[in-house]
Amino acid sequence: MMQSDRPEEAGSENYEMLLFVAGDEPNSRLAKDNLKRICDAHLYGRCRPKVIDVMKDFQSALEHNVLVTPMLILVEPLPQARVFGNLSDSRKVVEALRLTGD
Amino acid sequence: MQKVPTAIPGMDEVLHGGLPAGRTTLAGGGPGSGKSIFGMQFLYNGAKYGEPGIFVAFEERAEAVRNNALTLGWDLAPLEKEGKLFLLEAHVDPQTVLSGDFTIKGLLAIIEGKAKSIGAKRIVIDAIDILLRLFDDPARERSELYSLHDWLNDRGLTAVLTVKSAVGADIATRYEFLDFMADCVIHFDNRVVEQVSTRRLRVTKYRGSGFFPNECPFIIREGINVISASGTEIRHKAKATKVSSGLTRLDSMLDGGFRRGSSILISGTSGTGKTTLANVFAVGACRQGEKVLYISFEESEEAIVSCMLSAGIDLRPALQEGKLRIVTAMPESAGSEEHLFNNLRTIEEFRPGHVVVDAVSSCKRMGTLREAYDYVMRLTNACKERGITSVLTNQTEGFQEENEISGVGISSNIDTVLFLRYVDIGGEVNRVLIVMKARGQKHSNQYREFRITERGIEIADVYIGTGGVLTGVARQEQEAKEAVDLRRKQLEIEYKEHFITQKKAEMAADIARRQAELETNKTEVKSLQLEASLFAGGRGLRGKMRTEDEVNAPGKTPAKKNKRPGANRKEKAI
Repeated sequence: MMQSDRPEEAGSENYEMLLFVAGDEPNSRLAKDNLKRICDAHLYGRCRPKVIDVMKDFQSALEHNVLVTPMLILVEPLPQARVFGNLSDSRKVVEALRLTGD
Repeated sequence: MQKVPTAIPGMDEVLHGGLPAGRTTLAGGGPGSGKSIFGMQFLYNGAKYGEPGIFVAFEERAEAVRNNALTLGWDLAPLEKEGKLFLLEAHVDPQTVLSGDFTIKGLLAIIEGKAKSIGAKRIVIDAIDILLRLFDDPARERSELYSLHDWLNDRGLTAVLTVKSAVGADIATRYEFLDFMADCVIHFDNRVVEQVSTRRLRVTKYRGSGFFPNECPFIIREGINVISASGTEIRHKAKATKVSSGLTRLDSMLDGGFRRGSSILISGTSGTGKTTLANVFAVGACRQGEKVLYISFEESEEAIVSCMLSAGIDLRPALQEGKLRIVTAMPESAGSEEHLFNNLRTIEEFRPGHVVVDAVSSCKRMGTLREAYDYVMRLTNACKERGITSVLTNQTEGFQEENEISGVGISSNIDTVLFLRYVDIGGEVNRVLIVMKARGQKHSNQYREFRITERGIEIADVYIGTGGVLTGVARQEQEAKEAVDLRRKQLEIEYKEHFITQKKAEMAADIARRQAELETNKTEVKSLQLEASLFAGGRGLRGKMRTEDEVNAPGKTPAKKNKRPGANRKEKAI
């Protein structure tokens, strides 16, 4: 059944996320911490968000059209989602990443 | 301070050199006011001349920006390929969820990275208010903007930020602080005045530099073209030579003609012959081999040609030889800046020695009186700078307004003013011409009668005498009357002279007669005297003879003769 399978599906799905930060500034640090917390809580550590520092790698920021930081991009599973800010509002993050099913 | 020239026609004059180098300029205005074009033109010109730049587009997609540029004749793609221009599509996906606080550091990182990689010195952010709208909190907006400003300055980038503002207002209240933050603020306006769309820009602030503070009209034709600021400098080439007005009599009234490169106003009420006079000038100049540009706001080329033919002026040879060019336009067809732009462009291309504008009074149909004034002033200044003589015709309502366009006085900037008017005397209406003013040259200050015949224009002296100023038939009558009077006086004098001569003759005759009489008398006296003396002489002789007789005969008979007692007495008497 789909329903009962969902945790396994959710578990087997690969969560690919990109977190763009801007150096060591306060919001970026917060975002990193908040994301870790959310991931641990909802994805049982199944995701390892890739952290990209725009100050060091602006090309990636350009490619992904990241103008504000911090910016979290859910690459997979589709559809893609974006959340910007320091992720202090976890409810919004969870909604955006469609983690509520868990 | 260092400045970066924009190379936008007319703009650098307003900015006294260009935008402040390494600093922020704000370009604000309503939708479609031209601020984005300004930004893009700044980058495009820079890119063409080797200074790379970045265009951050918040409003439009990069493709739309490229297409817009194409409509202005700018092809951005090659410049992008060469790395001279970078279009950054800065879109914040509306689907993006906001969670917590954020900064625009991402944007700045991208810009910095790109700027370094292409060596960009110029950056345009179009439009900054969209970026700021991400922040709900005005305080956050401000602080982010300040950090942007500092960031830009630190890296020495010359930045133009465009801001949308409400139509008719300066930078919207919400973004008032932008004014304070920027070093230079330019406001763009696209308004409708008297049903004619017109564009204006104005520099409201330029820290550390002078600038032209007034509104400048501009048009968008292959980019922004600012109609150059007039009045900050007067760089007119002073010319000493004269050009004929086309009429010898008028030239003598002007001590030789019009000063080349000066401005001439032919003013007068309707039908007085201003256009004819202007055309006489044009044809005269063309005959000397010079080119004339005739700008007509009243009639078409055909109408002008046929009208002038009836006055004995044939424009066709000059037109065919390309010496005379007539351009016509309805004043209300566009704003004054567009007319000015078109006319200046024609002047640049045709290079006339002289320009005629017929009539400047129609120019108020370009929008307002102010527009008309602006147009005329800028055109005449542009002509003066190029040493081009400008002849303007102006229709007035009456004598009081002979040197104004219905209230906005241009006469102080005009060098020579000719005034044509009607005079109504003795049941006839005639035209008179007078030189009201001719700066820098001697001129006649008398009225002359002005006649338009099939042979062209004739200028005649007016009658000035006891009857006041008279023209036409009245003048002729008065002249005839005075001629008769004069003749009569002459005849009287002649008569008197004859009379005197006669009297003299009479007197002379009289004298002669009396003289003759006198002579006669004298002669008479002489003869009488002679007679007397003869008589006396004779008596003596006779006496003597008698005595001798008595002496000679003593014994003789005394009885011969009785001694008269008287004889002795006689001897005693003698």
